[in-house]
Amino acid sequence: MFTTFLLLEWKSAKRASIWQKNLALNLVIGFFLFLALLYLLLLGFFIGKIIQEVYPGEDPVIIFNGFLIFYFFIDLFIRFMMQSLPEISLDSFLHLPIRKSTIIHYMVGRTILNFLNMAPLFIFVPVLFTLIEPEVGNFQAMYWMLALILLILGNTFLATYIKRMFGTKPLIVLALVLIIGALFALDKMGVFSFAQLSSQAFDAILRQPLYLLILLAWTILTYKLHYQFLKAHLYPEEVRIKKRREVHSLKQNRLLKSFGITGTIIMLEMKLYWRHKRTRTMIYMLPLFLGYGLFFYFQPMYMERDFVLQFVGVFMTGGMMLNYTNYAFGYESNYFDTLLTKNIDFQQYIWVKFVIAISIGIICYVLTIPYLFFGSRVLFINTAMFLYNIGILSYILLYFATFNKKRMDLSKGAAFNYQGVGASNWLAIIPAFLLPVLIQIPFQQMGIPDIGLVFVGCMGILGLILHKPLLNLIYKNFTSRKYIMASAFRERT
Amino acid sequence: MITIDHLTKIYGSTTVLDIDQMEIPAGESFGLVGNNGAGKTTMFRCILDLIRPNTGTVKSRGANVAKRESWKEYTGSYLDDGFLIDFLTPEEYFTFVADIYGLTEGDIAAFFADFKEFFSNEILDKKKLIRDFSSGNRQRIGIAGALMPQPEILILDEPFISLDPTTQIRLKHMLRKLKEDKGVTMLISSHDLNHITEVCERIVVLHEGKAVHDLITNQDTLKVLKGYFAVS
Repeated sequence: MFTTFLLLEWKSAKRASIWQKNLALNLVIGFFLFLALLYLLLLGFFIGKIIQEVYPGEDPVIIFNGFLIFYFFIDLFIRFMMQSLPEISLDSFLHLPIRKSTIIHYMVGRTILNFLNMAPLFIFVPVLFTLIEPEVGNFQAMYWMLALILLILGNTFLATYIKRMFGTKPLIVLALVLIIGALFALDKMGVFSFAQLSSQAFDAILRQPLYLLILLAWTILTYKLHYQFLKAHLYPEEVRIKKRREVHSLKQNRLLKSFGITGTIIMLEMKLYWRHKRTRTMIYMLPLFLGYGLFFYFQPMYMERDFVLQFVGVFMTGGMMLNYTNYAFGYESNYFDTLLTKNIDFQQYIWVKFVIAISIGIICYVLTIPYLFFGSRVLFINTAMFLYNIGILSYILLYFATFNKKRMDLSKGAAFNYQGVGASNWLAIIPAFLLPVLIQIPFQQMGIPDIGLVFVGCMGILGLILHKPLLNLIYKNFTSRKYIMASAFRERT
Repeated sequence: MITIDHLTKIYGSTTVLDIDQMEIPAGESFGLVGNNGAGKTTMFRCILDLIRPNTGTVKSRGANVAKRESWKEYTGSYLDDGFLIDFLTPEEYFTFVADIYGLTEGDIAAFFADFKEFFSNEILDKKKLIRDFSSGNRQRIGIAGALMPQPEILILDEPFISLDPTTQIRLKHMLRKLKEDKGVTMLISSHDLNHITEVCERIVVLHEGKAVHDLITNQDTLKVLKGYFAVS
């Protein structure tokens, strides 16, 4: 039965359109995954050396074992945030003559097959052979490894159990953060050495393998907890993580109302962003984009290079705009037909998208003004780049957005969700981000970089002045592509 | 009112729609029946300019729907879930429609009064999003949304499907009343031969994209249709 379930899941994953249609993106993701694993492997091989460097004269095994307690708490936290719960579609199995216990065992056991369970092995196996085994011998090393595996499994079952029981409530997240913080704080302040506790515990296991039974009991207990919980709640509506909340209708506020249809569409977009998890998480990326400058402004080496500062400027004031425009139409795939058949003037509709895009640019720009602290030149460059973003980049992004014909499923979560992401789109956009840097090069060569920046800024202003014909161009492109977009958006996977 | 001329739609090597000439005069209640894949939805999508036909044109009041957008002002339609904005509450959705069509507060109040019976306490003040409603209730919201701007042409794809019996009967009453009182032109497709003969005065049978029967409804129509669809 388990193999049947696994086979079904494999098929559903393999036949998800993302694997078939998006080779380029998959290659990129695969590459980064490979890099991440490679780093873990290297870390595993060299951690012994690193410990000897940092803690000279101490036993690296004891130090490493001391870290483990923190590792497992952080692991629990990461799992809680990131490990997705296996969702075999209960509805399609519960009515079949399959024992409930079989389904539950599968649902709990399936959590083992997860990237988060493979990744630590990439560190621990090299550590086992380079650090532990030479020092403690064959059998003891095996006990050590067994202990780690049991702890990993225990964490898996526990994290998924908590997640199933409570969902990702902010309160639980806060509690976990506080526990981990307290652990570190108590250890650092010397109130209680958890590191010592941890290394003593592992030391005990190395000497007396019977202690492994305690860990085994712990793993079984967490499994049982998860199992019992599911057993008591094996109804699709109870197992689902999503809880239905009451929604109160939002009345359009007066200000937006005075804008007529423009206000109506803006209001619709605001609700769209607020009521889907995937779009909400996009908003959380704002600090990431805005904080991008901090990576560079502190380093004099970068401060002397205009092209670095320019790129940082384009990115900070344009990154969120890109996030918005890239999916400006894709996000509406669910109800695209209604937009096409209702009495909406699409010239106005595209105008609204443009207004929202540059408003996002303006907000980002205003928020980056405090970087003035790092010198007036930073603000000067950011201003030029900002003008380029709203006056040139905005059109380029909107134009390419009409080529995005992937249906977006907004009901799914956001982390690691690449559904509906078109790689070709991103590739087309990168040059647009580099354009102002390229324009600058000849001015730089002639020794008049500031004139170059003013020139870029003026281009942006000119673009804003010419918004009518430019948006008309996008509108024309949109009308010729709307059938392709509409039919692609209708494809439900 | 609606004129179809040499309309074809081809996917790959299959012709899913092939209508040479068809005229739907103003005020007619036009029924479309046919088995799955007969081309009913494709025909409606062509009329609503949602897909580009391979050949031919659809004209609404003499204007090509693919070229001019004036038809949107007087056409109400509901084909499927894609016509709903599912992250809104029903109230918000209706407000959206009202804003798009420039309805006044009075129009909106009249709409809610008119549809009170049709909604029968299932739709309004539920404090949930459209996506959390059952399919029958979503269907009700969609049909009401199509009727809200008081269109002169109404296009509904399988409107009776997943409605409860009471609502089906109410919908039939409502459609007949719209035709009699306001002279609304209606294009309705259905698998249910009983419903469609009750509502429509003209019924076209589609088969593999072609209009194989074009009947004016009378006492015998249901029998003729049942005869046509009966498995021999």
